[in-house]
Amino acid sequence: MEGFPSYKQLKTQSFPYLQLAFKTVRKERGRSSITILLTALSTAMLIFITALMDGEHQTLLKSSVELYSGYINIKHNKFRDEPSIEYLIRDSDMMVDKLKNRDDIQAVSQRFDTFVLFSTDSRSVGGMLSGIQPESEKMTSKLKLSLLKGKYLQADDKDSLYIGSELAKLLKVDIGDRVSFIGTGSDYSFCADNLTVKGIFQTGLFEFDSQSAFLNKSYFDKVFLTESLATEIVLLPKNIDMADKASHSIQHTLSEELSSESWRESMKSLVKAMELDAIFGYITVGILFIVILFVILIYTFLTLFARIKEIGVLRAVGTSQREIFAMLFAESITLSFIGVVVGVLIGGGLALYFNINPIEFGAEFEEQFKQYGFINTAIPTDFNISNIFRDGLIIFALSIGSTIYPIIKVNSYRPVEAIHHV
Amino acid sequence: MDSFLRVQSVSKIFNRGEAGESFGLKDINLQINKGEFIVISGPSGSGKTTLLNLIGGLDSISSGKIIFNGIDISSLNETELSDLRRDKIGFVFQAYNLISLFSARENIEYVMKLRGFSQNECDMRVDEVARKLGIVKLLDKLPANLSGGEQQRVAVARAVASKPELILADEPTANLDSRSALELMDMMERLNREEGITVIFSSHDPMVIDKAKRSIILKDGHSLIDSF
Repeated sequence: MEGFPSYKQLKTQSFPYLQLAFKTVRKERGRSSITILLTALSTAMLIFITALMDGEHQTLLKSSVELYSGYINIKHNKFRDEPSIEYLIRDSDMMVDKLKNRDDIQAVSQRFDTFVLFSTDSRSVGGMLSGIQPESEKMTSKLKLSLLKGKYLQADDKDSLYIGSELAKLLKVDIGDRVSFIGTGSDYSFCADNLTVKGIFQTGLFEFDSQSAFLNKSYFDKVFLTESLATEIVLLPKNIDMADKASHSIQHTLSEELSSESWRESMKSLVKAMELDAIFGYITVGILFIVILFVILIYTFLTLFARIKEIGVLRAVGTSQREIFAMLFAESITLSFIGVVVGVLIGGGLALYFNINPIEFGAEFEEQFKQYGFINTAIPTDFNISNIFRDGLIIFALSIGSTIYPIIKVNSYRPVEAIHHV
Repeated sequence: MDSFLRVQSVSKIFNRGEAGESFGLKDINLQINKGEFIVISGPSGSGKTTLLNLIGGLDSISSGKIIFNGIDISSLNETELSDLRRDKIGFVFQAYNLISLFSARENIEYVMKLRGFSQNECDMRVDEVARKLGIVKLLDKLPANLSGGEQQRVAVARAVASKPELILADEPTANLDSRSALELMDMMERLNREEGITVIFSSHDPMVIDKAKRSIILKDGHSLIDSF
C-alpha cells in the first residue's frame, strides 16, 4: 500500500502523517487513555474469564479423576459393562511390575473392588470394600489426602479399615471400633471377618463417602482369595495431558480380553459435561467479543468523526487517502498494542494471583458445588502463558479490525465535505 | 505570461436531483495565466469558495472542465488529485486550519515532507520563508499560542514553502484586523512577485481587493466582470 513506507523509504525519508499519528497518540491524552483503557479492560476480562473457565474445568477434572478413578485404568473388557468375578485381571502383580517400568508412567496401583454387607452391633449397611495397595494408591488417587480422622492404611496393615465418613456415620462407628463384613470370595465362597476402623476419610462426594471402605490388598487377598487378581489397575501418566496417548500405547501391550482407557474414554459423561460447559463458556466469550467489538467500533467512530475537519485539511494540502489510512491505522495499532500489553499484565496478573490463591466461593455454595462434582468450594484459575498470549492476540485483532470500518468511512469524505464537517 | 489554468463552462449544482437542488456556479469561463495575482470577489453565497474548491480539486464539478497545466482535473481520481494538490497547489483557508499538534515549523514543513524533501532542505526553506513572512520567532510555537494574524502568516508559509505553482486563498483576511489584513496581502503580493507563484484569492473586502492586479466579480454563481 502506498501509504505504508517501505524499509528503504523509512531509512531515507520522513513521513509527516506518521509523525502526526504518533504525536496524536502522545498529545491527545484523554482520547488515548480511554482507548487504551477500553482495550486493556477487554483484554484483562477475556484473559480472566478464560482462566476461570479453564481453571473450573481442571478443578472438576481433578475432583473427578484424581480422587479415585485415575487418569488411565485397565480392566477386563466385559467387566466394564458387567462387573463380575468372572471378568478379572489375572497375573495382576506381574502386569503391575511391567507397567511400572514404562517411561510414560509415573505410578501404578491395582485394586480389587467387591460388594459386601458391613455390620456393627446395631446396624448393617451394604457397601463397596476395596483392596488397595496403600503406598502406590497415594500416587494414583487422593484417598490419603482425604483423611479426616485416624490414620491412612500402611503396607503391613492387616485387619485395618479405612472407611468413608458417611458410611461410618451410618454404621455409627469411630476410630478403634470394630466392623464385621460378609462377602463373596473369588471362588464364590462366603468370606467374613472383623475389622478395626483405622481411619475415616471424607472426599466431599456423598455417594463415595457413604459406600466405600478400603483394606490393605495383601490382607484383602488372603480373606477373599484374590492374590494376583485385580478388578482394575490404575495408572498415573508422567504427563497427564498425554493420558490418551499413553493409554493407546499400553493397549498394544495387553492381551485381547483387557482394555486400557484414559479418563476421556472411561468418563464420557464428565467429558460431555465439560464440553457442554465449554460451549456455554465460548458463547459467553463470543457475546463478550461482540460487545467489545461494538464498544471499540462506536468509540472509534466518535473519536474519528470529531477529527473529520482535521482529516479534510490534511487531504486538502495533499495527503492521500492511503496516507490518511496509514496515519489512522498507525494510531490504532499503537493504542491497541499498548492496551493489550496493559491488559495482558492485568489479566495475567489476576490469573496468576487466583491460581496461587484460589477463589473461595464460601460454605453456602458447598452443596451446589458437590452436585456438580467439585470436592471443595475453592476454584483456582488456570495460569497458562499460551492462552494469555492467544487472548491478547484476539483482542489486538478485534481492536484493529473494529477501527478499519470507521477509518474507511471518514476517509471516504471529499476534502471539501470534511473541512466543513461540523 | 503563459496560460496555464482554463475554467471552461464550469457549473456546480448542489443537492442534485434532491429537493434543495441549487446552482453554486453556472457556466463559468475563465483563463488564468501563470504568475497572475487575482482576486475573486462578490457577496456571500456568490460562489467564490465553490470556484476555489473546484479549481483546487477539493470538490467535484457538475459540468464543464478545468484544465490545469494541460490536465483536465475533473478526470483525475482521488489519488491523482491528492498528488496534484501536494505538488502544484498551496491552500490558505479563512480559518487558518493549521495542525494543532504541530508547531509552526512542523506545519510549514508538512507538505514539503509529503513531497519527499530532506530535513536539511526543509530547514533551509522554512527559514527562508519565515524570514520573508516575519515569523522566525514563531516557528517553535503551537498554533494555540499564536494570534489570528500570526496563524494566517504561518498558513501562508505552509502554502508557499513547497514552491507550488498556484496558491488558492479563500478569504485569507476575513478573520484579521485591517492592519494584519493589509500586511498579509503585501506579503502574498511579494511572494507572487519574488517566487513567481500564481495567486488566486477570494475576498469581499474592498481594501484587500484593491491589492489584486486582476479582479473577477461573481454574483449568484455567474462571472460578471473580469477586469485587469
